[in-house]
Amino acid sequence: MNWQYIREKLKPIADGLFGKQRMPRYERPHYDIRPLEYMLERLVNIPDTSWQNYAFSREPLNGKFSDAQRTEWTRKAIDCGKDYAGKFTNKYGTDDPELLARKIGLDVYYPQYPEKTDRVLFADFVMPNRINIFMDAVYRAQKYLRRNNVKKSLGDISIQKIILAHEIFHFVEDKYQHEIFTRTEKIRLWTLGPLHNDSGIFALGEIAAMSFTQSLNHLQYSPYVMDVFLVYDYSAEEASGLYEEIMQFAGLTP
Amino acid sequence: MDFAIGVILLLTFFALAWYCIKGFNLMIGFLVITILWTVLPLFGTLFVSEEFLKANPVLMFEGGKGLVKILNGIYQSAPEGWGTTLVNVCWGAWFGRVLMDTGIASTLIRKTVELGGDKPAVTISLLNLVTALIFTSMTGAGPVIAIGVIVLPILMSLGVPKAIAMFSFMGAVASGIYLNPVNFAQYRAFFIKPTDMPDFTLGWYAAHWGYAALAIMLVVTTLLALFYLGRSKSHRQWAAQTRNPQAAQKDAPIYTLILPVIPVILNIAFNFSVIGGFVIAGFAALFLCGRMSGTFRENCQLVNKLYYEGVVDTAPLVGFLLTLPMFNAVAVYASPYFNVVIGGIMPRSELVVCVVFAALLFMGLFRGPMTLVGCGAATLGVLSNVAKFSVPFLYGVFAIPTITVNIGSCITQSWVAWGLAYTKVESRDFLKLSIPNAYATGILQYAAVYLFLAGLGSAWMIG
Repeated sequence: MNWQYIREKLKPIADGLFGKQRMPRYERPHYDIRPLEYMLERLVNIPDTSWQNYAFSREPLNGKFSDAQRTEWTRKAIDCGKDYAGKFTNKYGTDDPELLARKIGLDVYYPQYPEKTDRVLFADFVMPNRINIFMDAVYRAQKYLRRNNVKKSLGDISIQKIILAHEIFHFVEDKYQHEIFTRTEKIRLWTLGPLHNDSGIFALGEIAAMSFTQSLNHLQYSPYVMDVFLVYDYSAEEASGLYEEIMQFAGLTP
Repeated sequence: MDFAIGVILLLTFFALAWYCIKGFNLMIGFLVITILWTVLPLFGTLFVSEEFLKANPVLMFEGGKGLVKILNGIYQSAPEGWGTTLVNVCWGAWFGRVLMDTGIASTLIRKTVELGGDKPAVTISLLNLVTALIFTSMTGAGPVIAIGVIVLPILMSLGVPKAIAMFSFMGAVASGIYLNPVNFAQYRAFFIKPTDMPDFTLGWYAAHWGYAALAIMLVVTTLLALFYLGRSKSHRQWAAQTRNPQAAQKDAPIYTLILPVIPVILNIAFNFSVIGGFVIAGFAALFLCGRMSGTFRENCQLVNKLYYEGVVDTAPLVGFLLTLPMFNAVAVYASPYFNVVIGGIMPRSELVVCVVFAALLFMGLFRGPMTLVGCGAATLGVLSNVAKFSVPFLYGVFAIPTITVNIGSCITQSWVAWGLAYTKVESRDFLKLSIPNAYATGILQYAAVYLFLAGLGSAWMIG
């Protein structure tokens, strides 16, 4: 009977007497865990336009829109992203997101940032010209790219270039905010006599950013697939939940 | 000897403050201190002078029978008396669960965002107002988290930096709690027995100070959030997160959105029973939102499930809150000794109390000696027994460090701790925003306490 043994035996009593306050934890919903390869194989086959419901489900104003509006806006946002990808590729003579970011004067940082499983942050764009790519998620996902079936679904990709391209588009949006579709398109929320409130739609910027990313990185699938892929190493269950949600929004069976 | 015992009691008070600040278990801490404060003052009567005993009749008891009567008062009657408050907590928690289950709370948030749109300043202001209104009737970590998982991603998607979104939301929650009947009943029980001072109702409190306290915190939090927002750079984030079931709920009918404030309105306007209000508004919500469309058996199961979940939400605090009445009761026996040691330096003027408490607001952080849900219960025990102040005045004095500082601004508050993990805001980044808010709000609230609650007559005094 050593000291360690005694400590272990006494620990429940000590915890009971002097234990820290127990914080109530929020319990996430539970999902069936699916293999990564299985999910990716199906996600890469979802047509670009079928991601619209998933994209709009994160839009704060989604309740104000009709299905027809969502469909039309999705089409226009995808075209907008492709259009600006073409313009920038031609203007700066490169489609490499890292080179493009340097040429247009963006400061890109690659902090290693530990994440939690319930909300995994890939990157953020800080106005006017700073982009943070949070490498923890990138490093964790990279090891799966060595698996043949993952590579077969995703192709030969650079995760950080995909994320960077997405954030570059938000810079583009800001720079061309008076003319770009994702910023000029507004919805009237309310009118009260001469007063009214017109609002932009954030989901359009996200859909267009995915389309912009897809073009620059020559992807055959929507970069929204990264939502599942990059979360998988943090929590296979959370990634499976996202997959389930995406498939349901696309009208497919998970 | 009375001085020596007083010094030992004072040392145990500081030990308790250290214990609370270290984040140890509050229930056990208060139970231990209750036992110490029982033994020292009562056993100490064997050694103190006759004059001291004559001056403090509370310490005079007749032999074994008298001692047992005192002990029964501390360890049986006191927590039993708090039971009437506990039932309010349970029904309030059930009502909170009903508002979440029916989608009323999430619909309120979504409709508010649809008014503000992509203008973060407008949306923050409106969301703060609605959040405050919601938490006039909902309380506990479960409801705060359920609303937080809707509000926080929305604010962040609008480009609001996560620390500002966090601080603003938590401040709005705390401001609503100033009018929450469940919290009012809980804190009131720190000062007097539930049956004492029947005129000190939520309606009286709201009209004299509660509305002002809520408005001050809501306005200051919102203005500071807008100020911080104006100085910060806008963000756009790519983050993945499964949708919360609350966010995915269908909209509740528009006319049901008034239900969250019905119990508070009924209580303030008509002094109508708090539990009655929860039952009326809760069942109205369930019926009007179509949640009672199953068989009788299914409906019973639903009501029961919501009650169970609500009670679980409040469970972590119940043990602590049922230990506190013992401590409050025993403080009466310790106070004569405290009076000997610190009676001369304790403030007796209401103005001085307000100024000192405003200056020491930071002691409400980390469960320190100012917050009632921490070591402040001991401070109250000392202050209320050593000097004479009215109950409403003391209520206001202690509500500020408890609600504004501890609940709204401190990382030891359960739902703030959750929010930090959820938004990945560093503790120091949150405190950099929340402490200035706690001081700006607290100072104005103390001014309101002095203006509206000072100088009340002897009818409002304890005992």
